[in-house]
Amino acid sequence: MKGRERKIIQYVILIGILLLGGYAVGKTLFVSDDDKPKIGGRPPSFENVADIEGNLHSLDDYKGKPVVINFWGSFCPPCVAEMPAIDRQYLKYRDQGLVVLAINLSEDDITVRDFLKRFDLHYTILRDKNRMIEKKYALRSYPTTFFISRDGRIQDIKVGGMTEEDIEQRILKLMEA
Amino acid sequence: MAALFENTKCECGHQNPPDTTLCESCGKPLGEEALSNRPLEMRYDGVARRSQKANPNLIDRIWNFFSSVKVAVVLIVITLIGAMLGTIYPQENTFINFDPAYYEENYGLAGKIYYALGLSHTYESWWFITLLVMIGASLVICSLDRVLPLYRALNKQQIRKHLQFLTRQRVTYAADLEGGDEEWTRKLAEQLRKKRFRVAAEQTALLAEKNRFSRWGPYINHIGLIIFLLAVLARAIPGWQLDEYVAVREGEAVPIPETNYYVKNIDFEVEYYSDDEMPDRLKGTMRPKRFETKAELYVCEANCGSTALEPVLRKVKTHDILVNDPLEYKGLKLYQFDYDTTPRLKAVRPVLMDLKSGESYGPFELSILEPESEYELGPYRLKLITRFLDFTVNASGEPANLSSQPNAPAFLFLIQGPDLPAEGETFFYFPIQTDRERFGQDLINGEMAERFDIRVTDMANVEFAGDVSYLNVRVDRALPFVFVGAFISLIGLVMGFYWQHRRVWLRIDDGRLTLGAHTNKNWYGLRAEVAAALRRAGLDVDPKSLDNGGKKE
Repeated sequence: MKGRERKIIQYVILIGILLLGGYAVGKTLFVSDDDKPKIGGRPPSFENVADIEGNLHSLDDYKGKPVVINFWGSFCPPCVAEMPAIDRQYLKYRDQGLVVLAINLSEDDITVRDFLKRFDLHYTILRDKNRMIEKKYALRSYPTTFFISRDGRIQDIKVGGMTEEDIEQRILKLMEA
Repeated sequence: MAALFENTKCECGHQNPPDTTLCESCGKPLGEEALSNRPLEMRYDGVARRSQKANPNLIDRIWNFFSSVKVAVVLIVITLIGAMLGTIYPQENTFINFDPAYYEENYGLAGKIYYALGLSHTYESWWFITLLVMIGASLVICSLDRVLPLYRALNKQQIRKHLQFLTRQRVTYAADLEGGDEEWTRKLAEQLRKKRFRVAAEQTALLAEKNRFSRWGPYINHIGLIIFLLAVLARAIPGWQLDEYVAVREGEAVPIPETNYYVKNIDFEVEYYSDDEMPDRLKGTMRPKRFETKAELYVCEANCGSTALEPVLRKVKTHDILVNDPLEYKGLKLYQFDYDTTPRLKAVRPVLMDLKSGESYGPFELSILEPESEYELGPYRLKLITRFLDFTVNASGEPANLSSQPNAPAFLFLIQGPDLPAEGETFFYFPIQTDRERFGQDLINGEMAERFDIRVTDMANVEFAGDVSYLNVRVDRALPFVFVGAFISLIGLVMGFYWQHRRVWLRIDDGRLTLGAHTNKNWYGLRAEVAAALRRAGLDVDPKSLDNGGKKE
């Protein structure tokens, strides 16, 4: 029958438009936010990043642990200012599983080595290169610190320096989750 | 049932679909069209739109919504207004490094609102894409609903039309004939054929038609537009579009974002206009004439994007990139975009001078980024304590870095040797002369400044890092489809613009000739053509007298 044929064509066209259009509109709604890390989302992964001794670390190595990812540079005074406090808090909570990964902002070997000589830091310092990790984390200013809870989700993002009190409160909240 | 009330059967016996305004067979005006005496509404030959039904369900209603030209016009107007909003301030994607604070800083509150509303990325916003999708749906459905009935109507046209159909055309003529009806029909048919009409004739009726294909112009245009729209939407498919910028220093290879490629800058050259090539007001300025990057493209095979391991690269293409002559490889294009020739120190070869004795030791190779930890110079030993890349004195009075870039390198050495304390004396060295003065090297070094100096004796002992070339990396797999769509659309427009569909109907009833003619534009041309044919067949007619009035009510 002609009417039935027409109906089928109508349905096919409408479904086609819905699928194509839905895909196009859906992309604008979800994808643009997807690549930027946000609270409640998953942190961008990184693999085989060297620490000061040259050992390689991947974010996946710390699955199931509360992780603090802190981006810092020797050229950034507020980054430097909060480092001793982060270290004290790390020593306090590391027995409970706390991991601190402090990612240097793609500075060169000598700068990082000489800078760290002035401090006695116990947490892991990782070396970014060509701003690759920094870009993945869509950093806009320094320091920026990500708090990742045991379930692998970003619990909090702090842009700017923190006081020791502030750091401890955030770590406690992270340990509870 | 509404269908029962509406008698859709024409007196000629043809059963028409509801909403038909002119009988599909004989052309007799139906419904409201029958009540007036004005020229007929000939759009789509009076056939009903395909989807018009007596009892529409939800799907029919959606279909009918998109089938409406009014709706299409409204959608287009809204889209145009939306597109205009996107042109008020620069869009986010025009910045290499986008900073959301830009809008408020430059445009104040209006900028803040603009950004908050998401107008800073109008053309990627959900509502704009939704509008495009709706226009696409409207294009498909509007066209389909009209082109199929029109095709059917034009494909099986009745030659002998209803009298009213002829007399209510915008071009019409009636006269009493002397002589044979059939012979006269043949005579006019011949004249019309000479004017390249295709003529179908019965004994005393004829239908002459030319350039029917121009009626398909709008639909071909729409097919082109649909391809165009689909191609634009296809840019959302991962890997179909990329627009990034990379900065590559001579001798370095950098990864291209979102791809598996690395690009290496082998050599960058810039040539400037000489003064006699430039107008007076530009003389003495540096105007680039030609800049070129000798580039190599690599594909990464292992350790890609690793911060610690060396990537394994395989060379796939070499090209000298000039403005408008990009490196192309499998849809990836690298365009010359900008350059930076600001000199940046790579290494210096200074000597250590003993100012007291006038002796100098060296020169020694001092790399800015990778200096040695110790240098033996005659009786002296230089130990590198630390090095700063962008020297500054911070708030607590300590030396520090201002950034991670080597803008103001500084070296702190420990000098050991004769007449010096066993543990040595510290000595600050700024390789850049202006830094040396700016930070007061001699002041910092105190007494040591009177005994020693580290200095470069010859410009040949200064090595600069290569120039930076900025490349724009583009992938646009949708572009060929955009062009195909645009080309098809153009063909459709030409078909519709430069040709007109002209038809002439004639019937002779017992010596009474009735003629009607229709075109979609250039009525003047049609009247002249009809009048000329009539004149040749023996009826002297003024073309103007054929005018039955138009739609100028």
